[in-house]
Amino acid sequence: MTDLVLKNIGKTYPNGYQAIPSIDLSIEEGEFIVLVGPSGCGKSTLLRMVAGLETITQGDLLIKGNRVNDKEPADRDIAMVFQNYALYPHMTVRANMEYGLKNRGVSKDERHTKVMDVAQMLGLDELLDRRPGQLSGGQRQRVAMGRAMVRDPKVFLFDEPLSNLDAKLRVQMRVEIRQLQRKLATTTLYVTHDQVEAMTLADRLVVLNKGKAEQIGTPMELYDKPATTFVAEFIGSPSMNLFDAMLTERGIELSESLTLLMPHQYRGAIKWGIRPEHLLQSDEANGDFSLQVQAVESLGAETLIHGVLEDGTEQPKPIVVRLAGPHLPDIGSRMWLTAPLKHWHLFDATTQQRL
Amino acid sequence: MIENRPWSRLLSHLILIIGVFIVALPVWVALVGSTQPEGSFNSGSIPLWFGDQGVQNWAHVLFAEAGSTLQIPVWHLLLNSLVMALGITIGKIAISIISAYAIVFFRFPFRSAIFWVIFMTLMLPVEVRIVPTYQVIANLDMLNSYSGLILPLIASATATFLFRQCFMSIPGELVEAARIDGAGPIRFFFDILLPMSRTNIAALFVIMFIYGWNQYLWPLIITTDDTYYTLVMSIKSMLSVPDGDIQWNYVMVTTLLAMLPPVAVVVGMQKLFVKGLVDAEK
Ligand SMILES: Nc1ncnc2c1ncn2[C@@H]1O[C@H](COP(=O)(O)OP(=O)(O)OP(=O)(O)O)[C@@H](O)[C@H]1O
Ligand SMILES: [Mg+2]
Repeated sequence: MTDLVLKNIGKTYPNGYQAIPSIDLSIEEGEFIVLVGPSGCGKSTLLRMVAGLETITQGDLLIKGNRVNDKEPADRDIAMVFQNYALYPHMTVRANMEYGLKNRGVSKDERHTKVMDVAQMLGLDELLDRRPGQLSGGQRQRVAMGRAMVRDPKVFLFDEPLSNLDAKLRVQMRVEIRQLQRKLATTTLYVTHDQVEAMTLADRLVVLNKGKAEQIGTPMELYDKPATTFVAEFIGSPSMNLFDAMLTERGIELSESLTLLMPHQYRGAIKWGIRPEHLLQSDEANGDFSLQVQAVESLGAETLIHGVLEDGTEQPKPIVVRLAGPHLPDIGSRMWLTAPLKHWHLFDATTQQRL
Repeated sequence: MIENRPWSRLLSHLILIIGVFIVALPVWVALVGSTQPEGSFNSGSIPLWFGDQGVQNWAHVLFAEAGSTLQIPVWHLLLNSLVMALGITIGKIAISIISAYAIVFFRFPFRSAIFWVIFMTLMLPVEVRIVPTYQVIANLDMLNSYSGLILPLIASATATFLFRQCFMSIPGELVEAARIDGAGPIRFFFDILLPMSRTNIAALFVIMFIYGWNQYLWPLIITTDDTYYTLVMSIKSMLSVPDGDIQWNYVMVTTLLAMLPPVAVVVGMQKLFVKGLVDAEK
């Protein structure tokens, strides 16, 4: 059953700025949807419209089949976790968690059992009588999640909940959020600009660009078949190498002297792309092209080699290669590469759409 | 920078001791004077050590009559002052916190215009608008009444401004979290806003209580019946005796009594104040 339906949802701010032209999305029960995109693309706006914190200026929002456009946030049966946690500073952890229940007239005993259940699940039982000011960042984050969970809502909304945590804790919480969501099977809408978070958490990803959904799909769909150059560059780290090229009967002409052979019926200006991790080190005899090494980033398990494509032109075209294990090529040296055909991505140069 | 050389310590202590001496001397004179027999000030010298009339003076002033032209006991004046000061303080805080709440959290037409109008009343303290205010209070038949003493002093642009700043520093996410938690405007006000601004309320309480307690001109103008006289203004009338000697010993007792409540408020609230500052978890 579809849980949450966004029909032609749009937002124009009172100052006339159109943050979201139109978005259609239907979310199945228990699905984990991640909204991802660069800063200012309208992720928070969309989430806040679902929460009811921002008015919907166009379209319909349905939760479990009911149109909730004009309902107060409290009546929508949603719970939200904010980036800065937004815990009530003067209340204990327990009071923070049960405040929503109290306002809904839930009896004291029931509140107590619910808070205890959730506190146990999140490992907060020891902290129930502390104030938020006496907790670490990670603990506050948990309390914020606990506050959302005790309400047992139909939809969880998260707005960059992990961005204030350090890297290690972020990974740990990411895993935990995913496990909790599986266990509770609550439909979740999660905003992030971190694409690792997006890839690992999502059942389906929505990539937003300037308020438009560029592509909606599973993480692997987006990785394997990005629909646009924007998605291609956004998903994957380091991002995909993209080059302007002409598709002719001879193949993909990256420059006058560098042509990659490929039979394709399309003719015209294109963008040719390949991910850094799909380029293979080769030698002069077998290589498709070469690069001049400019910088090497050794990460231990892998090495990122930044260079410029040697295509016979003066114009420097940066290219990144990701190789497993340690490599130490000299700066300025030449490195030959092969680009396996199955990993090529072709996009129309004008529409930026996948060919 | 912390200097720890003996000379600088000696010097700083010396300066502090001189300061304490300067501040404390008048209080000491008042305390000593309140124990002297009648007329000891009129001999020309100021007594610097306790007399033997302490208990009688204090009992007389507190429970019989204040002396000079005042025929009512000082405990009654104290009560009047307390009613006025508390009325002004509580009224000011209540009104300004509610107006700041409206200005910060609600969208209504002419919101900022209204704020600036409130702000402009800063330029109109009681002394400036005293004639029209008197007229209004007289027409409302509130001369010689507690409400007449309190009401004109209740509006406070300063406090409204202070609460506005305090409310604006509350993160928007917190307000939204409360909305999602189902807290309506009233619940939000009492459950979140009031507890979060308690340090500001405590600070304002101290300042406003002293302001209210020390009111002089307004009570002087609108009270003609000495059952509504306040303590601070009556000290002046105790000094203006048409003939005969000023009863300095009684004046000193009254002065000390007038000092006590503000001191009590400052000392009492200071604890709460510091406590509020220490675990101010924002
Ligand atoms: N109240 C507002 N009035 C007008 N424009 C706004 C308002 N709030 C946001 N915007 C604009 O709407 C766009 C989307 O904002 P939004 O907060 O949704 O971005 P975001 O994707 O969440 O970005 P970030 O990752 O930085 O949080 C931005 O260009 C922003 O400037
Ligand atoms: Mg945002």
